[in-house]
Order: sequence, then structure tokens, then C-alpha cells
Amino acid sequence: MKKIKGYSITLTVNNENYDLTAEPNRTLLEVLRDDLHLTGTKESCGEGACGSCTVLVDDQPVRSCLTLAVAVEGRHITTIEGLSQGGALHPVQDAFVAHHAIQCGFCSPGMILTAYALLKENPSPTEEEIRRAISGNVCRCTGYAKIVEAIKSLADQGRQER
Amino acid sequence: MRLPPFQYLEPENITEALSMMDTYKDTVKIIAGGTEVINHMKHRLLSPAFVMNIAKLGDLGGISVLDHEIVLGASTTLKEIANSPVIKEKCKAIAEAAFQVASPTIAAMGTIGGNILQNTRCMTYNQSEIVLTGLDSCHKRGGTICLAVKGSTRCFSVYQGDMAPALIAFDAQCILRKSGATRTIPIIDLFTGNGVQPFSIGSDEILTGIIIPKQDGTSGSAYKKLRIRGSIDFPLVSAASVIWVGADGKITSSRMVIGAAGPAPRMVEEASLAIQGQLPGEIDLEALAGMAYGLTEGADNLAMPGAYRRKMARVLLKRAVQEALEDVKRGI
Amino acid sequence: MKKFDLIGKDMKRVDTASKATGEALFSGDLILPRMLVGKVLRSPYPHARIISIDTSKAEKLPGVKAVITAKDMSGDKWGVFKYTQDQQFLPTEKVRYVGEEVAAVAAVDEDTALEALSLIDVQYEPLPAVFTVDDALAPNAPLIHDVYPSNINIHVKIDVGDVEKGFSESFLVREDTFTAPEDSYFQGEPYAVAAQFDNAGNLEIWMPNAGPHLKAKPLSNVLKIPLNKVRVRKITIGGAFGGRSEIAPADVICAFLARKAKRPVKIIYTREENTVATRQAHAMVTTIKTGVDKEGHVVARDITCRMDGGAYSSTGPIAVSVPFLCMEQAYRMENIRYNGYRILTNKPIRGMFRTHGRAFACGVDTQLDMLGAELGIDPLTMRLRNARQTGDYTPTKSFVASCGMTETIIRTGEQSGWKEKFGKLPPFHGIGIGTNSVQTGFPMGIRGGSQAFIKLNEDGGITVITGIVDNGQGNDNMIVQIAAEELGISPDDVQLISADTEVTPSDPGSYSMCETFIGGNAVRLAAQDVKMKLFKIAAGEFGVGEDELTARDRKIFVTSNPEKSMNIAKAVRIALSRNESISGEGSYWPNVDAKREWVKNPYGQLSETFSFGTVIVEVKVDPETGQVEVIEAWAAQDVGYALNPKVIEGQFEGGFAMGGQGGMLSEFHQWHEGRVLNPTHLGYMVPLAIDMPKINNIIVETIDPNGPYGAKEAGMSVAMSAAQAYSGAISNAIGVYLKDFPLTPDIILKAIEGKGKREQ
Repeated sequence: MKKIKGYSITLTVNNENYDLTAEPNRTLLEVLRDDLHLTGTKESCGEGACGSCTVLVDDQPVRSCLTLAVAVEGRHITTIEGLSQGGALHPVQDAFVAHHAIQCGFCSPGMILTAYALLKENPSPTEEEIRRAISGNVCRCTGYAKIVEAIKSLADQGRQER
Repeated sequence: MRLPPFQYLEPENITEALSMMDTYKDTVKIIAGGTEVINHMKHRLLSPAFVMNIAKLGDLGGISVLDHEIVLGASTTLKEIANSPVIKEKCKAIAEAAFQVASPTIAAMGTIGGNILQNTRCMTYNQSEIVLTGLDSCHKRGGTICLAVKGSTRCFSVYQGDMAPALIAFDAQCILRKSGATRTIPIIDLFTGNGVQPFSIGSDEILTGIIIPKQDGTSGSAYKKLRIRGSIDFPLVSAASVIWVGADGKITSSRMVIGAAGPAPRMVEEASLAIQGQLPGEIDLEALAGMAYGLTEGADNLAMPGAYRRKMARVLLKRAVQEALEDVKRGI
Repeated sequence: MKKFDLIGKDMKRVDTASKATGEALFSGDLILPRMLVGKVLRSPYPHARIISIDTSKAEKLPGVKAVITAKDMSGDKWGVFKYTQDQQFLPTEKVRYVGEEVAAVAAVDEDTALEALSLIDVQYEPLPAVFTVDDALAPNAPLIHDVYPSNINIHVKIDVGDVEKGFSESFLVREDTFTAPEDSYFQGEPYAVAAQFDNAGNLEIWMPNAGPHLKAKPLSNVLKIPLNKVRVRKITIGGAFGGRSEIAPADVICAFLARKAKRPVKIIYTREENTVATRQAHAMVTTIKTGVDKEGHVVARDITCRMDGGAYSSTGPIAVSVPFLCMEQAYRMENIRYNGYRILTNKPIRGMFRTHGRAFACGVDTQLDMLGAELGIDPLTMRLRNARQTGDYTPTKSFVASCGMTETIIRTGEQSGWKEKFGKLPPFHGIGIGTNSVQTGFPMGIRGGSQAFIKLNEDGGITVITGIVDNGQGNDNMIVQIAAEELGISPDDVQLISADTEVTPSDPGSYSMCETFIGGNAVRLAAQDVKMKLFKIAAGEFGVGEDELTARDRKIFVTSNPEKSMNIAKAVRIALSRNESISGEGSYWPNVDAKREWVKNPYGQLSETFSFGTVIVEVKVDPETGQVEVIEAWAAQDVGYALNPKVIEGQFEGGFAMGGQGGMLSEFHQWHEGRVLNPTHLGYMVPLAIDMPKINNIIVETIDPNGPYGAKEAGMSVAMSAAQAYSGAISNAIGVYLKDFPLTPDIILKAIEGKGKREQ
């Protein structure tokens, strides 16, 4: 039985292990941003409604603002900083740039990770499936059209590869 | 937004969890997906001394199909329920309700247990301090006034869960465990009808599972939700219906439930009585739907006006029954 | 037209790769050594006298490094205009809305800062408050500011021609009143400020802004330090949409905390704070009287608009004027009168917002539809007959240098199949049209012009230095695109230093839709300036005239004989070896009437050019629930010339989502005694991906005579006309004209029921 107050935890973020002391009332979002300085993960609403703080926990999109850091010990956490490999943009990031799916960029990390998780689960989603999958991520700039186009371009590739 | 301080409990099995509940009682809040409790804590609507995470308890997850019932572990996520072939086939309304909860990411985090036990809501309650500071406390915040309905001596907060109406329509039971005891009660009995304390669950109890009984005959079901957007939103009103038809084509039983109608889901029992023994084609849908209207409280405390929500209870019930009957006709 | 390498082409934005990787830093992402957390104590009362503020307990709390109240400031009142100086950044006498700043702390962490706030003891004497325009105007209403009798903050009065005579000569006259509650920006990034002082008293400050220079001057004033000590730094900005232009109390508070604590301080607003304590958009009641002739031409129009301004002036004079000005730009009319009032209430402060008032623009357009219906003329034809044309003067005397309004109407009409659809769709299925126009810049005093510098490096690369700011719309890319095009180099050769008041010259800011037109022109001129210097060198080397040269592919060559060429880098090295200056300067001052003033003299050239747009949408309405399904949309705008077409499409789509889908269907604030009940994404319903219809973008180009490459602004006329297209389509679907916006399902259902009753 664990009874935790000011607890030493090990978080696995972007394939690196971090030994941290975290009070139980710290959210994953706070620890990522304030302790690990992974500020690509954004806070826009703080209550799970907007999707800006989305990170992947074992490849599932999760609201880091509603997730206690202590609760995800031992799980694989991926933030936007962990998506690109060896300096090259990940294909999802590349598609977002190429299709002008990014304007102010504040929602982009969460949106990109949500799209990544969708494509991992379903490599060739329909437009309807894409729209639904990202419908928990608020973008105020784009009207979503270019975001959907970007994801669709990868979905079409997925369809071709199958 | 910062969370208030608390001690974190992570039991390794259900027995340990129950013993913690026995020890800490009112001072502990359970989280699984965290989508509700963490939110309320950020707004300082809750400041428990202990938070107990039951997400990792293996014995609380999963969907089991037994001979006479389907059992859902309380930590089963809404996404699992929405995608479950057996739920989609046998209890379509439940899958439909799960599919429509909040947004896909939240539905992947949120659990059936957490969804059922979500607190009642009100625009003058679910706020952080910046909004309500300077006002007297309402009933739900421990005061003696109602900010939504002037002069009201009771709380008008609304239960906005999606799952409970659908589960109640299927006559689902919930399993409540405490150290040394287990009880199973109909989900409808979990609700007190009092907005201040909406649930009858004991402070030492854990909701561990949901039992959906199997019933004979052909059935159809549907869940309808009124929301402004296609995602994220809580139901402004909802309706669930389940209809069973015997070999003679006549309705053997039915259950209809209105959600976001008041502090608890409301069963439209009058309507079930009215259509008992009828052929699906004989049903007067408008009359039936009208019975939902009077059951819906129309306080102006959600995103849409109460008067509109009451009217929509009628429309949604009609549509839910209509769709359930169509399913029956198709022999689903 | 001349062929370009970059201009007019789809170009990947220079800023978005770093946004895709999370590398781009926003203000809230900054981490400075020894940085403290700043938090603001806010008023719990909508209107109250401040009796006393005791901060002693908070100051004693371990970890608290600074506490400030009004006593730490001079008490000066600030305003965008001399005649609107009514706001203290921390008030001394009164609080005027729930959420107004009262005191602030800086502490080692957020929990300590929050605890310190709870230890500040403020004694208030609550005063009667007013929450609606009607209450604020009532005979015995409490005065929110002594200087504004009857709580009337601004009155803009415009009178052109003879309105009464116009009405008497009209074939048909209608008067209707339209209303809408407040709406909000909901920028992705909640407001955040980081500030630090060095030993020499230089301030460095980062915040989302629509113009660093617009922030620097008031900071210099209130901190009583010269402008060259105020360094508003460039930072990635998560949206503005008309807000974030003025100084915000948070900017000043953060700077004062940093100075007092002698440590860097960062304030990050919660979503609630961003909604309550930055700016909101005005609620409006607009009464419109319009007379038309038999053919539907507007003969005379009289508009009275009352806007709920909240507790302070903010950009009030502009906000009261712009909805009217957009209207007078969009439509021809000889006789026009306008009385615009901004009334103060004890609610959060309202500023300029992208879509400038549903109850105004949709009111004008809805009434045009109604007049057309009485005359038997369809809405599209009504717009064609009244559409502004190139070479016109607006009633308030702005010359219209380029105008593609008619083309936007015709092309949206053709592509949407308007003729086949309007009046021929089944019940509860409708189509609607909206048209509007926006400015590309306003008279902004000494801040009206933009300057740019370009420095050449010996390797042929350049550094562009400009005050242009990018709020997310792609201005950084626009600068790089223009500079690279002019100099014939690759975008990779361009380094950008922008929006930093320490080094970048003056610029109006990304506000009033002017950056491409004014800032873009300045950058282009700077590039041309330095190009001429390069050409002078090359011309000497090749023995040809400067006008015989071309710069392209990093080379300068003789246009008629491209074999004769030299690398730009070589030309730079020659210049350096000769001790010749090899930097460029450009400056652009728009042709606007400097004597024009929002209240005192609302006549003269307002803006050098204007954009024009049309949106058509097709909808289905559920007759039992009043819910709207948007089937498809067509959006067209005269953008002058499309510098980067995909970026423009993105502006259309974003404007359509905010103005139309959100602005007309779901976005509005709800209130309880001056408190916003839906300050977050859960209650304030901005559209989601699943809600949006297919949008067909139609870019119309008129090649403005003075815009850079003919360009003007890119998308605001779509944002402005989308709401009306929705409103028109819904009216068309249900057969009832609606006057209270937004058109939420309850309002639509009530209209359907009312019509049903009338028909019985």
C-alpha cells in the first residue's frame, strides 16, 4: 500500500527517465512544464475541455491538466517534444506545417498528438472519424479545415499503404 | 489552476481500497479517470484530505458477459463501452450514451463509475472563485439560498450524466461494496433527488460494478442527447428508452428515462404503463412524449433556458422511443 | 502581371515548424532565473468604494517578495485617447466590476502567492451597480465615473446628406431593432506576462500583444522611465482577434512587481481571468431605419446603436465607430445618420473584437433581406444593387481605390447555386447571404506609419528589422516572403528581427488589419532601397544601367543577358570594401486624413483601402428542436492580391468559424449580477471540428493600386459577413426574420412556434 505525501516518483517522458519529487496535488501538466521544462505542452482551459494540454500516456491521448503526476508513474509519456526524431519533423508535424494547419500554434501540440494517436489506432480514418477524434481539441484560428486536410493527407497515405 | 493539497492513496487491491474507505470515510474522494473530481478540486468545490486512485485496480475493469447478465467493472472506460460489440448489440442505448460523453479523449479517460457518480451541476455552482466571490453561498455550497432560482428553499442543480439514464432504462443495478459487505441496488435508487447530496452511496462504500440484466424477447433501445456542439458538452436534456416485444409482437415491457431533468434522472413510468401490451404501430408517440415534459424541471441554470429544455425532453423522448421501435421492427 | 518566385505562391510559413515541435515559446513558457509567480487580487463586488487595503499579513508570509497596491503607483489614469483617460491600473477609490484588479503579489511559488492574496484585507463599501444599458441610463442610476454624465461614455454622431428627405422620397421604409449579448475572444493562449528589470533600470517584458509599441508607451508613462528603457520583446502570440492591443493592467502590475521584488515575475492568467479581466466584446442594441426605392436601392438610413461598454473606456471610440464604418463601406447610400453610444455598466471591459457586433452588421443585412422580400427582390440582387464600387467615396468621405464587392457576390452566388436554391428549397432548408467590408488601417496618430530596415551580410543573407507583429495569422512569413522576393533570395537567407521595441522601429501593430498593407509596404520599400544599392554596384561592374538588372536566385544579372551575373554576396563584399552603406530603409505612411477623429471629426479618408467580402451558407433547421445543421458554405473576399493563398484560405476559414458558426449559433455570455457564468470553454461554446461545414474559399483579386503587389487585408470581411449569411439562411429556412442574436436553438424554435401560431 502506498500512502503518498511529497513522494519520489520516476516518470518516463519521451523515453527518458526522470527522478522527481512531486507533491500528490501536482498535475502531470505542471510537472512537465515546471519541472521538466517541457513547455510545448500548453494550458489553455485547465479543466479538460480544450485539449491544449494533451499528451500521450502509453500512446493514448490524455488531458495532462486532469492527470495527477503520481498516477502515471511507470507509464510511457510522450509530449510534443518527443515526437520528432533526429531533428526531422514527424510526418504528422510535417503534414500540419505543409497544409497550413497551424496559425497561432497554441493548440498545435495537443492537436498534433491527438492526430498522431488517432492515426496509430486507425491509419486510414474517414473525414468524419478525423473530425470526431479532434473534436475535444479547440482551435480558435483555423476553423479546423486545414487541420482536417493535414490529417486526411496522412490518412490517404495510410489507405495506400494498406 | 492549482489543486488543493491532499494525501494520495493508491490501494493495490479492492480489499485494501475498502479498508481505506472504512478508515477515511467522508475525507476521501475516489478518482479513476479523474475527469470530474480533479476538475471540482481545481475549482475548490472539493478539497478532500485524501484522494484514492482506483484506476489501477485490475478487478474493477472490463466487461463480462454472463448467462443472465452483463457486468461492467466500475473502472471500465467509456470508450471501451462505446466500442464494445456486445454492448452495441445488446444494449445499444448504453453504447450510444458512452459514445456521446464529453469528447473522445475524455471518454477514453473517464470511467463508467465516475460518470454515474458525477455531481449535479448548475451554472451558479460550477465556477471558480473569481465568478462567485462576493455572493452568498448557495445550498450546494453549504449556504441557504439558491442563486439560480430566486427564493428557492432547495437546490436546483441538474444531474447531467449521460450513462445513468441509459443504464436505468436497462434496469441496471449497481454493486456497492464496503468492508465486509456488498449490496446491489437499482441505479435509480442511487439517486436521492436532492441536489445538495445527489447520491445515497455510503461514505465507506465503493461503486465496483454495474449489472445489466438480460431479458427475454426482442428489444430495441436508443439514447438521445441535446447538446449545442457535437462534442465536449454535457447533455442539456437527454432521453433513453428500451422496449421489449414478445413473440406476439406486443410490447411486454418498456422503460423510459429523462436525463438532465433535475437532480436525478426521471423514469417516465406513466408512459411505460400506457404502452404495455400495445403493438408498436398503435403507440401514440406525442401523448407519450408529453409525459416527459412535466417530469423535467425547467430552471434557467444551464447553457439553454429551462423552458426550452423542458420542451426538448418531449422531443427527445419521442425520438428515443421511435428509434427503439424501429430497432424492434428490424429484429435487433 | 509580373512573375514572382514567392509572392502569390503557396509558401510554407517560416514560423510553424517550431510551433509543431513545441519549441516556439509563448509568454507563459518563459523561465527566467529566480523568477517569481505573480498573482492578482480581484474585486468581489461589481461596484464598491475601497475603504482600506491592509497588506501587512501578506507581506509577512514567508516566500512573498513583493505586494503592490495603488499606493505603489502614481494614481494616473490611462486611456487610449486623451478624452478617455479613466482607468487606473490599480484603482484608488472604487472598483467598478467583479474581477477588477485591486492588489497583486509576487512570491516564490503559486501556492504561496495564492495564500498571500487571501491574507490581503480589503474593506469595501458596496455601491449600487448597473448591469444593463437601460439601467445605466435610468434617471437615478449610480454614476460609474463622475466624468461621464448618465453613464454615456462615447457618443459618435455622423450625419450625411438629408436623411429625413431621403425617407420621404423612399418607396418603402422599415424600422427594426436588433439585439445581441456579449461575446468573447477565447484566444488559445490565456494572457500571460513576464517582466524583469536589470540594474540600470531597463525593463524587459513579454506578453501577447497586437503591437509592442502600443504597449511600450503607456509602460514608459506609468513606470516613469524613458521609452528606450522599455523593451517589449518578441514572443510567440496565441491569438488576438482584435484584443491585446492596449496596455493591460497585468502588464503594468507585472512590471511593478518585478521592480519592487528586484526579481523576474511571471503572471499567467487562468481561462477565467482571460475572459473576465482582459476584454470582451460589446453587447448591442441597434435600431435601424432604412428607406429604399422601388428597385431596392438604399435611399436613406438612420441607425442608433447602444453598446454596453462595461466599466471603462478601452478602445470605445473605435468600437462604436467601426461597425458603422464597415456598413458604409460595404453599401452605397447618399443619406445616412448614425448615433452610436457606448454606455458604461458594472461589467468587465469591452474592446475591439474581430466581428464587430452581430446586432449591427446582421441587423443591417437582415433588414435589407426584409425590404427585398417586400419588394420581391431576392437578397443577392439587393446586395448587387447596393454594392460599393471602385472609385466611390463613402458617405464619410473615404475614397475607395479598389473594390471587388460585386465580384464576391457574383462568384459566391454562382458557386453556391443561389439562383437554383433561393426560394426553391424544401421547408426548413434555407440559403442566406451576407456582405461586408473592413478597413486596412485607421488614422493612428504618430503610430500610423511603419518603418523597416534591412541589413545585408557578406554571405548574401539579410536581416530584416521591423515592428510588425505576428499574432498567429502569418505576418512573420509575409515579411520574409516580401523581402526574399524583392531581393531574389531564398526565404532561408532571411533572418527576422521583429516586434521588439528595443531594436525595431515604429509600427501600427497587428491591429486594424493594416500589417500587410502598411508594414508590408515598408518592408518592400526597404528591400527595394537596398536592392538599388546592390544594383548600383553591379551596374558599375557590368557597365550597364541599374534599370537593366534583375535580382533572382541569389544573383544579380543583366536582364537581357543573364550570363552576366554576380552573386549578391559578392556585391555586398564590394560595397564593404568600398566603405559604402549596404543596408536598406523603407517607410510607409498610409494615405489617411490625419484630421479625421473618431468623435470630433468622423469625416475624411479613414483608411487607404478596404476589403470586401461575401459569404453564403446553406442550412437545414430541425423544426422540432430549432437546431441548425450547416450543409455547406461559400466564402469570398477581395483581398487585393493573394500573397500566400493558403494563408488567406486559413484566414477565411478561421473567420468563418468565429464569426459564423460560433458567432451566430452558439457564442454568448450569460450573467448573474455582473458575473460571467460561462467564462471557460465548457460553458462558452466555441465551434469544434465536428461542427464545421465544408467551406469553399473564393479569393477575389482587384490589385489595389497601393497595396504591396496589390494586396490588402486577408479575411476580415469574411469574418464580418459570415454571421449574416447564417442568419439569412436560417430566416430563409424557417420563414421568419430573426432579430435577437445569436440564433441559439431556443430562439429559433420560438420563432418557428410563433409562426405556426400566427398561421393558425
